[in-house]
Amino acid sequence: MNIHFTRRNLFQLFAAILIILIAVLMFIIGKQHALLLDNKTVEDSGTTYQAFSIVEVQVNKEPEIELAARDRDRVDVMGQRHRITVTYTDRSFEEHVFEKKFSVPMSYAMVLISIPALVGGADESVWLQEYIPPTAAVAPVSQEPEIVSDELIPTDF
Amino acid sequence: MSKLRETRGQKIIGALEKNAVPILFGIICLIGIPFSGYSLGYLGQEIIVRISRNSFLIIALLVPIMAGMGLNFGMTLGAMAGQIGLIFMVDWGIVGIPGMILAMIISTPISAFLGWMCGKILNMAKGREMVTSYIIGFFINGVYQLIVLYGMGSVIPIKNTSLVLPRGYGIRNTVNLITIRKALDNLLAIRFLGISIPFATLLIIALLCIFIVWFRRTKLGQDMRAVGQDMEVARAAGIRVEHTRIVSVVISTILAGYGMILYLQNMGTLNTYNSHMQIGMFSIAALLVGGASVARASIGNVFLGVSLFHLMFVVSPPAGKRIIGDAQLGEYFRVFVSYGVITIALVLYEIRKRRKAARGGLLLAQDQVDSGEVDA
Repeated sequence: MNIHFTRRNLFQLFAAILIILIAVLMFIIGKQHALLLDNKTVEDSGTTYQAFSIVEVQVNKEPEIELAARDRDRVDVMGQRHRITVTYTDRSFEEHVFEKKFSVPMSYAMVLISIPALVGGADESVWLQEYIPPTAAVAPVSQEPEIVSDELIPTDF
Repeated sequence: MSKLRETRGQKIIGALEKNAVPILFGIICLIGIPFSGYSLGYLGQEIIVRISRNSFLIIALLVPIMAGMGLNFGMTLGAMAGQIGLIFMVDWGIVGIPGMILAMIISTPISAFLGWMCGKILNMAKGREMVTSYIIGFFINGVYQLIVLYGMGSVIPIKNTSLVLPRGYGIRNTVNLITIRKALDNLLAIRFLGISIPFATLLIIALLCIFIVWFRRTKLGQDMRAVGQDMEVARAAGIRVEHTRIVSVVISTILAGYGMILYLQNMGTLNTYNSHMQIGMFSIAALLVGGASVARASIGNVFLGVSLFHLMFVVSPPAGKRIIGDAQLGEYFRVFVSYGVITIALVLYEIRKRRKAARGGLLLAQDQVDSGEVDA
């Protein structure tokens, strides 16, 4: 069987490949990840990373978050590469700013970032871990969001 | 060909008749605005929001009209494809503009297939395209519901538990689109005279208008116009009539899918089983209010229609409350007007068609009298 590729077929093939590549690119850059910023004492292979009494954390250009010891907060980010800035005060009341760029693996929808371990220089596998919420927390929401429409058809008879 | 001699009164009546629907809506709005109690700034803001929200969908209707296929009630097919794209986008956790683009890419092959199928069927029902496309919309809605209500979560994997019904399969009645809500509208939003203008959305609508103007001048666009004027003459001229008609429906359906995504990013909520059914009626009514007919529509009709129709939408509930004392009557009034305007436009189209034929006869008689072939 002879298959003839005309110029038109080639353009169509090229267009289809281009669209698939754009879709993949959008998937990668548009993927949302939830970052759980955790300020708790962490122990790893005999090393203790003490929680800060108070610390300010900023992810990318999102608003700064203030965390007390044992606090945890959530930031939703888009894409894989991010920058985290941690501002803390040491025991001699001297302010330090710690900045680090990091990547969130594509398959992780939610990650736990341990701020003390991050600032303490622990390995990435210690301060950045996948977080799978407990089943109860992801149980289906009982209340559905309100329908927003122009109400062409009245629904409240 | 000479011009039919008419008195000034006949000319005025002719012009009024030609623009009866926009004039009627203009009068309704002018009466309603003072009673509504809304400021001009508020109304201006509402109109800008609704132009940015609805125009893309309405422009999608222009291509089949160009090809003589009337108002494409089958645009709901594209809307369903757009919604499927959005459901996947939410499930995969893709947000913002990339999420919208991905939803558009997902919707494209679905819209193209549905449009092709619709076009094929419409070719078998020449002359009855509108009612046929309306019924195809109902049929595909059944298929859509089967897929979304039973297929998603069981056959088609859906991981996001907030999307799935408590029974474990099927998509919930409402899908929260907070992750793309106003993503495009807020991209290049500017404030002018206290009114927030979604510049990026309006820019995309402007680009679509330019595309439509350009498209009309292309070979395919000219073919569509020729097919729209007379299918037999077009066929004799070597135009592939059936193919051209199918292409027009495919383009319209794909654009409707994109339009639905733009519409829902503004709304921020997807009403899974109803949004697409409402949108066909909205868009067609708005286009007709703008002075378009079954056979002729322009970009000007789109913007005039969307402004007048949605101004009436905004104004009628509070005006109804002030005038009659019940806002619900205002709600019913706008529903009545929406369906009524479609009916009026269709009736007027038939009347005009008959009048045009009668005018042709009068013109012939006038020419014969002028040339002395017959006595006056």
